[in-house]
Amino acid sequence: MAPGGPPPRRQVGHSLADAIVTDGLSKTYGRGRQLPLRPQAPIRALDGLSISVREGEVFGFLGPNGAGKSTTIRLLLGFLHPTAGQASILGRDAVTDSLEIRKHVGYLPGGIALYDSMTGEGILDYLAALYGESVPLREELVERLELSPADLRRPVRDYSRGMRQKIGIIQAIQHDPELLILDEPTEGLDPLMQRAFYEVLDERRKAGRTVFFSSHVLSEVERVCDRVAIIRAGKLVALSDVEELLTRRRRHVEIRYTGEPPALEGVAGITDVRVREGLVTAQLEGDVRPFLAAIRDAQVMDLLIEPARLEEAFLEFYSDQPAGPGAGSSTGAPGSSDAAADSSSGGTAA
Amino acid sequence: MNCTLFRRTIAAYRIRFLACAIGLVVWGLLLPVIYASFGKSLGDFIKGNPAFAQLANFGGGDLFTLSGSIALGFIHPITLLLMGIFAVGFSTVAVAGERQRGTLEVLLARPISRRSMYVTLFVAGAAFLGVLLALELASNVVASYAVGVGSELRPETVPILWLNGWLLFVAFLSIGLAASVSFDRLAPALGITLTVVLISYLLNVVSSLWPDARWIANYSLFNYVEAKSTLEGNFHPLDMVLLLVVSAVAIAYAWIEFPRRDIAAPS
Repeated sequence: MAPGGPPPRRQVGHSLADAIVTDGLSKTYGRGRQLPLRPQAPIRALDGLSISVREGEVFGFLGPNGAGKSTTIRLLLGFLHPTAGQASILGRDAVTDSLEIRKHVGYLPGGIALYDSMTGEGILDYLAALYGESVPLREELVERLELSPADLRRPVRDYSRGMRQKIGIIQAIQHDPELLILDEPTEGLDPLMQRAFYEVLDERRKAGRTVFFSSHVLSEVERVCDRVAIIRAGKLVALSDVEELLTRRRRHVEIRYTGEPPALEGVAGITDVRVREGLVTAQLEGDVRPFLAAIRDAQVMDLLIEPARLEEAFLEFYSDQPAGPGAGSSTGAPGSSDAAADSSSGGTAA
Repeated sequence: MNCTLFRRTIAAYRIRFLACAIGLVVWGLLLPVIYASFGKSLGDFIKGNPAFAQLANFGGGDLFTLSGSIALGFIHPITLLLMGIFAVGFSTVAVAGERQRGTLEVLLARPISRRSMYVTLFVAGAAFLGVLLALELASNVVASYAVGVGSELRPETVPILWLNGWLLFVAFLSIGLAASVSFDRLAPALGITLTVVLISYLLNVVSSLWPDARWIANYSLFNYVEAKSTLEGNFHPLDMVLLLVVSAVAIAYAWIEFPRRDIAAPS
């Protein structure tokens, strides 16, 4: 972007351009000035993160507390300065063009803090005025998140946790930003409001907006995200389509049969076959078609294939193994190989 | 400078400003009245008891002349307290307080640079201080004429005193803001700024009451506002220059430091 010139409003939703790209992004705390009597060991909060988020997708960023999710978001928004590596957002450098970037980004911090003395409406007006833009989505969001005009006129100090979160969501989305960065967005929302929020996200995606979504609620990530990155101790351990991640997960299979047991040994994707009287159990990984072909001639009375859950994939990445790009692949964890390759090469995973 | 943030800052502090303004106006009205009522008899008493003369010279002010009375009001703890709400309280809360509350990241997620935020807060703080000090001095002048001692005042010196006093409190404001941008929590920022102000004040008061310690006044910023002397027409431009230099150093530090700082997640 030419410095000083008006930012080009990018056409979103129809290209496969990247909304966010990080390349070897690292952050170490405690490397700067130290108090002589209280020296602290440096903490590597983020270690060589290389990911890309495509325009128009909902991207889930997973990891437990302290994994580096918030650090990443803060680096993207210019709150923190990277120790190494770089990041670009909407084609602009996250460090040098931070101000320009923030004109096109809506941000919901985790556990958002608001000005208690202001009314909900006052806060929304104030935060919108700082963008200097209109708020085309305010009315619709207020309605969908069931905030009444009376609610909006009350001081925020009287709000419940859920109502504060609703205000946080509205302030991030109301000006229809190109990129939404949401840190634990459904925290404090009841299930009905969570559903309403997912619908809002879905509409933003249909409108071609990009959503970067940090969470540790795996069911919601599974439900709303197109792709997901999993980080552990500041390192990327997996980056994959949610669909692919689930497809490649091992699923438990049970077959109740009469007569001869189905021959599953050697079938692609089938492991850990156990045959008992009238019951075969096995683990299924990947494409289900070879398995279905193998049981086609068997006298199957009942068939159970447990659905794959992101939670299992996530827990597998967080089992007791050394963190790092190779961690996932060392256990044969699905979805980890691409991340490992991307991360180790310092390139951009896509 | 961000106009939206400026308007919001003014609105957020309007009640505190109003309370301080009322306090300073009342205080400003009171001193000429005290001088007109008791000043002469107190002066006669002091003349007859020289041992009290030095003790009556609090911070360069006294109650025996109109200029001394106004100077006493200027340096009195009441003025310091009311002005300190903005020079110290406002300045330290401005960034470190927002940071501790967690609202700073909501603000800085908007397209507003840290330097723009700093300038806006500085201008707002300086404006608060300027108006408050003007109200106190205006009250001094009004009360002086109301009680019939206005002829003892040289009105042309009042704006100079205002400017000199304003620069003093702006110096504290600059120090407070510099501390505020340097810490993630309010307590250290407030502690450092209060320490600077209180030590400076203590040095000035001690040196004014104790002739042998007169030299320590040079290390006090209050020493560079000689209110009585200024109202009597003896103004030292270098005093203002020194206060400007102090402010400039603190502003330069904050200007460099604030954009460089990492803003980690609120604790």
